[in-house]
Amino acid sequence: MAFVRETRRALEQQFERIVGEHGAAISRLGYSYEAVAGIREELVQEIALAIWQALPHFRGECSERTFVFRIAHNRGLTHVGRRRPAQQSLDDLEEADEPVDPRPHPDEQLAQMNQRERLASAVQSLPVAHKQMIVLMLEGLSHAEIGEVLGITENNVAVRLTRARKALKETMGVTQ
Amino acid sequence: MTNDPMTENRELDLWREQWSGVARPSPEFQRQVQKRIKVQNRRFWLGNLLAVAGVVGMLILAVYQLSHQASRLEKGRATGLCVLVFVAVTCRLWFLRGTWRAETQSIRAFVELWHRRVLSQVRRLQISIYLAIGWIVFCAALAAANWATIRPELMVHPTAYLAMMLVLVLMLRVIWFGAMWLRRRKVAELNEVTRLLEEMQTMND
Repeated sequence: MAFVRETRRALEQQFERIVGEHGAAISRLGYSYEAVAGIREELVQEIALAIWQALPHFRGECSERTFVFRIAHNRGLTHVGRRRPAQQSLDDLEEADEPVDPRPHPDEQLAQMNQRERLASAVQSLPVAHKQMIVLMLEGLSHAEIGEVLGITENNVAVRLTRARKALKETMGVTQ
Repeated sequence: MTNDPMTENRELDLWREQWSGVARPSPEFQRQVQKRIKVQNRRFWLGNLLAVAGVVGMLILAVYQLSHQASRLEKGRATGLCVLVFVAVTCRLWFLRGTWRAETQSIRAFVELWHRRVLSQVRRLQISIYLAIGWIVFCAALAAANWATIRPELMVHPTAYLAMMLVLVLMLRVIWFGAMWLRRRKVAELNEVTRLLEEMQTMND
């Protein structure tokens, strides 16, 4: 019994540390999957819950960061698969963060545009596979780590990353 | 569009800087998560306890009736209950084949596993609906075959039989609509997972 208690305490400590270290990254990842603030908060909590459930099975075959992002993306995908936009209430939609037109605005308004919001809105509107790529890249994961999370080779990561960046630029309307 | 690595790196740095300020966890985040963990643990234990108690309780009842009731009807009901529990558990295990764990730990493997799970759930629901219809037809045929035995009792307690039939019909309607609602949800989920899988495949090509 003492062993069980000790193991659980160790898991709780590890979990608290993971949430402390990766909490912000999980929140940002939640942002890429859900626009409605209230639902997003639920999603981020569910991601943390999923990490807690998977923690006893984590054997250290990959880095902790890879483990966290893999679970977070899996949970985000489940959220996308299960949500029913038709059933979103008007309140929910009102609660959604102000949608930002990802296209460039006229020059006089461009200076005032919140670049951060534009980037976030563009990431939200990307197809799932591009979104995953971009989020992992923005979070600073190496090609090897991205490959590990997504289950693809490093070469494939490079190719897909180029496509994803192109798609992001197009969505943001950046033409250089 | 330029491919200059310097420009690309500058752009990436800028994006990373912007992205880092997109969202932060709420100050209550840790506490809310701890609360949800507690609720989930409680639900997990209660759910398992109720499921085990339900199955064991039904089996004890069935065994008790088999050993203590002389009536053939009671013995038949008890045997039927045991068979029903056995068939339900076997069917569930059968449909869970290949859906226990993902082949690898990647996101793609997870989506493929999810697809298999939802497909299995939809099939299970479909089979359950056919089985329920078959069960009703079987019961009706059994009642018709034993009408000579049932009829005298029906004449003595017509209200009780009528009330029982009414409850049965209402119960079946509730179960039917519940099953249909669940099926619609699962089919919608299946379509969405299939779309996600196809999208991931397209991006790979």
